[in-house]
Amino acid sequence: MVTRRDVGKIGLAAGLAGSTSFAARQAAAADAAQTAVDAAKQFSGQTISIVWEAGLQALDPLNFSGPKWKELTGIDVKVVEVSTAEMFTKIMQDYKSGAGAYDALNVIPSWMPDLVNAGALEDLDPYVDKYGYREELQKIASTYRDNQMMVNGKIYGFPDDGDVFVMYFRKDIFADPAVQAAFKEKTGKDLAVPATWADFDVTGAALTEILKDKNMYGAGFFRQPPYTMFMFQERFRNEGGKFFDADSMKATINSDVGVKVLTDMREENKWMPPGVEQWGFVENLAAFLQGQTAMTISWPPYGRWAAGYGTDQEVLSWVPKSTIAGKVGYAMPPGGHPELAAGFCLSVASTSKNKEAAYLFIQWLNSEATSLQRVQLPYALRDPFRDSHFTSAEYLAKWPDAKHYLAALQAGATNGLLDLSVLQTDKYEEVLRQMISKLWAGEDPKAIADAAAAEWDAITDKIGVDKQKEVYSSWASKSGAYPKM
Amino acid sequence: MSATVIRPDRNFKYWIIAPAVFLLLAVGLFPLIYSLIVSFMRIDMMDTDTSFAGLYNYKQLFRDARLWQSLLHTLIITAIALPLELILGLAMAYLFLEKMPGRQIFVSLLVLPTIISPIVAGATWRLLLDNQYGPINQILGWFAGERVNLLWTISPTLVYPAIIFCEIWQWTPFMFLILLAALSNVDKSQTEAAEIDGASFWRSFRYIVLPAIWPVMAIAILIRGLDLFRIFDIIWALTMGGPGTMTETISVYTYNQGFKQFETSYTAAIAFLIIAMLTIIVTWAIRRMGLAK
Repeated sequence: MVTRRDVGKIGLAAGLAGSTSFAARQAAAADAAQTAVDAAKQFSGQTISIVWEAGLQALDPLNFSGPKWKELTGIDVKVVEVSTAEMFTKIMQDYKSGAGAYDALNVIPSWMPDLVNAGALEDLDPYVDKYGYREELQKIASTYRDNQMMVNGKIYGFPDDGDVFVMYFRKDIFADPAVQAAFKEKTGKDLAVPATWADFDVTGAALTEILKDKNMYGAGFFRQPPYTMFMFQERFRNEGGKFFDADSMKATINSDVGVKVLTDMREENKWMPPGVEQWGFVENLAAFLQGQTAMTISWPPYGRWAAGYGTDQEVLSWVPKSTIAGKVGYAMPPGGHPELAAGFCLSVASTSKNKEAAYLFIQWLNSEATSLQRVQLPYALRDPFRDSHFTSAEYLAKWPDAKHYLAALQAGATNGLLDLSVLQTDKYEEVLRQMISKLWAGEDPKAIADAAAAEWDAITDKIGVDKQKEVYSSWASKSGAYPKM
Repeated sequence: MSATVIRPDRNFKYWIIAPAVFLLLAVGLFPLIYSLIVSFMRIDMMDTDTSFAGLYNYKQLFRDARLWQSLLHTLIITAIALPLELILGLAMAYLFLEKMPGRQIFVSLLVLPTIISPIVAGATWRLLLDNQYGPINQILGWFAGERVNLLWTISPTLVYPAIIFCEIWQWTPFMFLILLAALSNVDKSQTEAAEIDGASFWRSFRYIVLPAIWPVMAIAILIRGLDLFRIFDIIWALTMGGPGTMTETISVYTYNQGFKQFETSYTAAIAFLIIAMLTIIVTWAIRRMGLAK
């Protein structure tokens, strides 16, 4: 069994720890990882570049997978760190200029239609067949596999990150008899983890009042527009909203549901910590780990860090020390269908001068054997995305509640909602970000929703209604586009 | 014996400067002309349509409310920050005109903000203004006697004061330095004579000092005016143009269109609109300020 200490060594010693079991597993079966390694040896001495999200994410190729790949194949990996906000731009700039500076890419799945239509991504099907990877691809959790891998029936990216929103709550608070009694007295209801947004609003507001003396709040969220944009997409659909009228392609985000969601979101800020409108990933994390909030919603790393997993590593020294380890429960966000917010696929740039080597690297990264190691790197932010990750005995033993954590991630992967992905997605998302920003600035929810819908219509008109309708219909037909009501 | 007279090649001087001229044309004029050509096409993220699209993009400019709003935001910031920087810079220059102990150290310290990269200055101010961890709200809270929760980068009423304050903090020292140099060169005998004749400070300033420093002051105003017109870094670091598009300036908007939305041809048209406007304004300003003489 690999202990937490062992995992620490994995990170800092560039994957030396754990490599024995890793190598053994590779030797035991000629799996996709080994196939990639064997084939890649012909490119020994060459260098491939890969675009990776800057920061913690990039420590995976910098500390673990890059050096390991070099050791196995003799191929150097140059990691091009780019902030998420700049990734699409950089990839497109490289493609448009024809520079071919990037070989492999990390691509957010919702960008794929745009990148494919532009011609920036390489069709991976021929490589998948050539290197026998199709079978292992099938073992990726179905939501990611069926929805985030293909455009127009062709494979352009390997889903490589099980990003999903999870609700984290304080088990000890919800199980506290005194809090339960106070809640009953205040609301007439039994205290339970909220399953609907209406319940969430009642529970959160009541807990804020009940926990006032402990300087705690019922909940806190990241509210900066780039994050809240995802939360809006999730909540809007969980409450029954549709992004477009499927026939006319007119935007319907200004429907009653849209206005209600915006109104409720702003009302919640009143009982959340002061200044929550400015909270980003770190502020929200800090508040939760320091015990200031009883509930929050975020990506999977929160759950690991709340349990104290890997936070003793130097690269995670910025993560506030968890004061709530062992006290955190995991659940689906209200509505039961969490946003598969962002996520990453591994792709090959169409302008790469070394496509074969780039492909083999991403096959190796994405393979069962390698990916299981990577999703356990405590600092690298890659989240479980294969069926085997959720049931890995090694992972289940990481901390006492890891089984509940992985169960929540698996449930999220099963019920999750895809980010809207149409032509020029970022333009639509930018309108949503502006909408949230205006909401926090105090503008009327109805007025800003109407303005946002008008902007969406203008974007659609410019792209071409029929053209966009075709792409939207394809997206809307996917299992994770809208909840099954 | 015959003497051969070697006549210098009269064109030699042109050959000498030709590489420099060529380089300037290549890096300056070519992109300008190319952008102009692109502005008459319809190149965007999806299409690389290089066929002639006429005035399509230029017509779009006049229908784009967000563009004109961003221009208005730019003018608001310029109209408030520029006079304040000028007045504060002039006041500080007067203050440091006389010799005093530690003058050089103070002047050096005052100039420090101008040597910081604007994007770093903006990021620093964002942290300082953070409502949760920033010291500014904390200090205000000490005075108020209770926790202060001002959302400097989100609240519509606070966001402009925050931006303008940061801008003034960083660039007033620039005005100060230039005006200090100009004031140091004013003939003191004239101001002393005016003082002996009973002229007030303001009359002396109006009729002696101002005419003397005006050419330098006008240049400083022009430079800062142009800087403010293209303000980007501080806004990007502080608000990214938000809340909504409330603080989106023309540079931020152009960046968003060009490098986030990939509206390449339209962005080229915006760039030429800006060039046209700035050419008119600068030409007018130079004539008005008498700098052309």
